[in-house]
Amino acid sequence: MAIRVQLDRVLAERRMSLTELADRVGVTIANLSILKTGKARAIRFSTLDALCRELGCQPGDLVVFEPGPGDDDDFEEELQGGLS
Amino acid sequence: MRALGPGSVSSFLKIILDVVYFALWAGVALLSLCALGALLLSFNPELLKGIHISGDDGREVTAKGPLLAGVLAAAALYLGGVLIIVGRLRRIFVTLTAGDPFHPDNVRRLRVVGLVLGGLELGRYAFWGLAAWLAPGSNRIDGGVNLTAWFSVLVVLVLAEIFREGARLRREAELTI
Repeated sequence: MAIRVQLDRVLAERRMSLTELADRVGVTIANLSILKTGKARAIRFSTLDALCRELGCQPGDLVVFEPGPGDDDDFEEELQGGLS
Repeated sequence: MRALGPGSVSSFLKIILDVVYFALWAGVALLSLCALGALLLSFNPELLKGIHISGDDGREVTAKGPLLAGVLAAAALYLGGVLIIVGRLRRIFVTLTAGDPFHPDNVRRLRVVGLVLGGLELGRYAFWGLAAWLAPGSNRIDGGVNLTAWFSVLVVLVLAEIFREGARLRREAELTI
């Protein structure tokens, strides 16, 4: 997938830890880690709203579109692999 | 009354399946032992003199030992198939009791149940054919096509696909932050 989450960069710019952000936003550290490492499949508007409010940024600062080779949607294959 | 979760109908059914599962294990073991015994006794027909197997026409079946061993082995195989089905259902009901019906493993379990159901039905035809060939006078097994059984096979296989879709949605929900 060509959508990249730049949460780590924004956190570094704000000098904020993931734990602190998790406390402020009300999302678990595990879920924020999934978001940070790009494993998330979707993000709720409510989560994006809370992140932007606490980090003082725009959604575009957190999420960018970076097309590249090998960015085909392999989620279905991943699922198939997990089920078999 | 709740259908899923601890203390629900699922947990009650899980207990019933547990009992049936262990009873089936005992049945398979017993039938296998009897089949083995009949096979061993067939080498000495004198020992089987007390057992009389006759066809509908009243004639005594000659090869009693192999016939008995075959029937008992077929019954053990049939119970073994039922055991596989009940075993998979038990595992499915564990996930239902835990309140997690769309566990990814349930897809494979349901598919196995469907395939074994089909296999049992095919085995019934095979047994009917063999029995008609080996003991024509004593064949009382219904060899007709059971539409209900095939309908059940298709329903279970379709259910497996529904569970696959449920598992996919569950996975997506897990990765939605």
